[in-house]
Amino acid sequence: MLSGYPEAYLKERPRWMSLDAVADFFYFGFRNLRKYLSIVLLDMGAIGILWLLMNYVIIRLSTGRIGYALVPWWVFGLGVVEAAALWESFGRSFGHRVARVELRRTDGGEPTATQRILHWLLWHVSVLPIFPLLFIPSPHERVSGLELRPFTMEGRTPKPWWRTSTGIYVAWLTGVALLAAISVTVSWEDLVRLFTKAGTTAKFWRSFFSPDTSIILKTIRDLIVTVFMAMTATSFAVLVAVPLSFLAARNLMRGVVGRLIYTVIRGMMSIIRSIEPVVWAIFFLVWVRVDLTPFAGVLALFVHSVSDLTKLYAERLESIDPGLIEAIAATGANRLQILRYAVIPQIVNPYISFTLYRWDINIRMATVVGVVGGGGIGQALFFYLTGNLWRQAGTVMLFIIALVWAIDYLSARLRAKLA
Amino acid sequence: MARIWPTKLDRDRLRRRFVALLLDWMSWGYVAYGVMYFLNDYWWRIPLERFYTTLTLPPWGWPAAVLGTLAMAVICQVSGYSLGERALKLEIREERPLTKEELLMGRAAGKPFWKTQWGVMAVFLLALTVALGWHIVKIDPEALIHPSPRAREMLSEIFPPDFRHFRVPDPAFELRGLPYSILDLMVLTIFMALLATVLGAAVALPLSFLGARNIMGFSPAGWLVYGIVRGFFNIFRSIETMLWAVVFALWIRWGSPLAGIMALTIHTIAALGKLYSEQVEGIDPGPVEAVVAAGGNRIEVVRYAVLPQVIPSFWAFTLYRWDINVRMSTVIALVGGGGIGDMLFYYKNEGKWALLGAVVITIVAVVWAMDYLSGRLRERIT
Repeated sequence: MLSGYPEAYLKERPRWMSLDAVADFFYFGFRNLRKYLSIVLLDMGAIGILWLLMNYVIIRLSTGRIGYALVPWWVFGLGVVEAAALWESFGRSFGHRVARVELRRTDGGEPTATQRILHWLLWHVSVLPIFPLLFIPSPHERVSGLELRPFTMEGRTPKPWWRTSTGIYVAWLTGVALLAAISVTVSWEDLVRLFTKAGTTAKFWRSFFSPDTSIILKTIRDLIVTVFMAMTATSFAVLVAVPLSFLAARNLMRGVVGRLIYTVIRGMMSIIRSIEPVVWAIFFLVWVRVDLTPFAGVLALFVHSVSDLTKLYAERLESIDPGLIEAIAATGANRLQILRYAVIPQIVNPYISFTLYRWDINIRMATVVGVVGGGGIGQALFFYLTGNLWRQAGTVMLFIIALVWAIDYLSARLRAKLA
Repeated sequence: MARIWPTKLDRDRLRRRFVALLLDWMSWGYVAYGVMYFLNDYWWRIPLERFYTTLTLPPWGWPAAVLGTLAMAVICQVSGYSLGERALKLEIREERPLTKEELLMGRAAGKPFWKTQWGVMAVFLLALTVALGWHIVKIDPEALIHPSPRAREMLSEIFPPDFRHFRVPDPAFELRGLPYSILDLMVLTIFMALLATVLGAAVALPLSFLGARNIMGFSPAGWLVYGIVRGFFNIFRSIETMLWAVVFALWIRWGSPLAGIMALTIHTIAALGKLYSEQVEGIDPGPVEAVVAAGGNRIEVVRYAVLPQVIPSFWAFTLYRWDINVRMSTVIALVGGGGIGDMLFYYKNEGKWALLGAVVITIVAVVWAMDYLSGRLRERIT
């Protein structure tokens, strides 16, 4: 058996000027390129983040300002590339760890120092994407006699994390990231207040034991508005999300057109989902008339629910048992019958369970959306807070907590029954 | 021998029967509420209080409503397979063949659900909910199709979004005398989420073992600790991050990032603690018994039998939580939690839509990237 040769050499090669040869060239070339590129990009990203964070900490601690780089961008870029080259040649880098490979001689032995240096020097040449495309293996591996082999633990004693370069890197990164985070978010005055001014919240807690009874009826009415906001948004979202989920399931959308529809819907839903309901509420509060605040809140919840439910539903659809579909199809059923007898029985309960879950989230969100002016109990809370009416705000909060707790309990119980 | 005291089976059946009646009563009560709401809305229209006028009844109305709904519930239960019975899966009361009338009522299998008694009720309640929601929320499709003049102004300004303050701070916007650019505040927001997640996970990790039944449930003291920890998780989890932010903004300072971090941390502790301890309760008991048999104490059990089993899912939950925390921290400034939300709401209040667009796009990009990254990582871990 020829070992150590890349698989491109082991297979019978087409005639050099045939179309097959061109296809082979691109196929193996890009596979080779991808292998190197993913590792190099991971290493460069890892080093770059660490560098930026260290600069951030240094600038923050020495000048008290916010800055990201102490050097020009091209020095930063060159340094990152150089550090990645060194790391990949002289150790088992982060990228190697992620790809589960290591640098070994082609015969499987430990690389010598000369080989490593050669690898490092020629790495600078091979980093240009054209080389891994043209040469398999790439020049730096060919000349140094090293290659990336799958990593196994066979015949080795495991090292503790502080003896591996990736372990040290991760520890350092964590330390620097925490330092950076603390340096920019926490100030001494705030810390002192955190430990000495707990008493300022007393007026708040007091209201929990002596709520303002005169606003209870109004608060209950606001509560009802909030619950109905969540219910309306959820029920309309279900109507839209159920058909959409069939278009967003990979296993149902085959062919070029199907895949295109799948990609477009999934991409759109993913973007819409990234916008918080609060931001949607800001948008819709401007969109609709001024007096329709709960409607704007419902629209915000609706849009976010549709995208979230579509994703949840579609993921469930993608994991249905294909055996049942085949069985029903074998009886000569048409598409609608397959849907009715093979797909729907498998998804009804999970769909109801997801809907309940989303309803639960929507009730929480409806209170938050209300705070930007989306109607319901959140708006009442914000009104009392901005007016420094702590007792009333505490009363409203008591109701919100009770509602959220009750709905959470109810939805969890119902979902446990459905499962 | 005649039984005087009901057996456990009978008691259970009695309890279910009672709960079923209660459910029917509640659903009819809901119908009564709907009827009263619409009556108020259309006939007793009082312009000033209209929005809140939902429950105005004559003095005799309350007992009438309570007794009337109870009567309806009883009629439902007697006459067929009611919604409450369906919900509790109380199939048939007596072991006897169904009569023709009962079959016609739809208690036999094979009838589509919307023709059965409970199906009619369920569809009716759903329709009532949508109708009530439509009126309470005041859904207005026309307002959706015809945007307000302000919206037209916003749409004309928001494209293209103005990224001029992405790197260079906006002199008009400053927090506590310091200028911030979008990038600065975005990084700060991610740091807030990071700190909250790390702190929350660090506290939740030890607490989760105290809140796991299979670790603590060996002694009365253990049960007590278990109950306290679980109660803490449940209570603190149902208080939203936003509400905690209100408290901490009052405590520390309005707009301080530390307030946001503390709010996120408290909620993270409760949410992660619950998820963690459920994982701990779901472990394979074999290794635990092995360590106990080898003479290990509780700490050694946790270290050598429990931790290796739960670490991957702990990482997955923590990543998931970080994702959520990034989302929350972008808007927590609304209630004084600090972060990029300060800039978001500043531009919104000033009506600078082009600049607001840039902030929103940055937030979306970061949240999307976090979502994608944490999803990919979680797939890899589990």
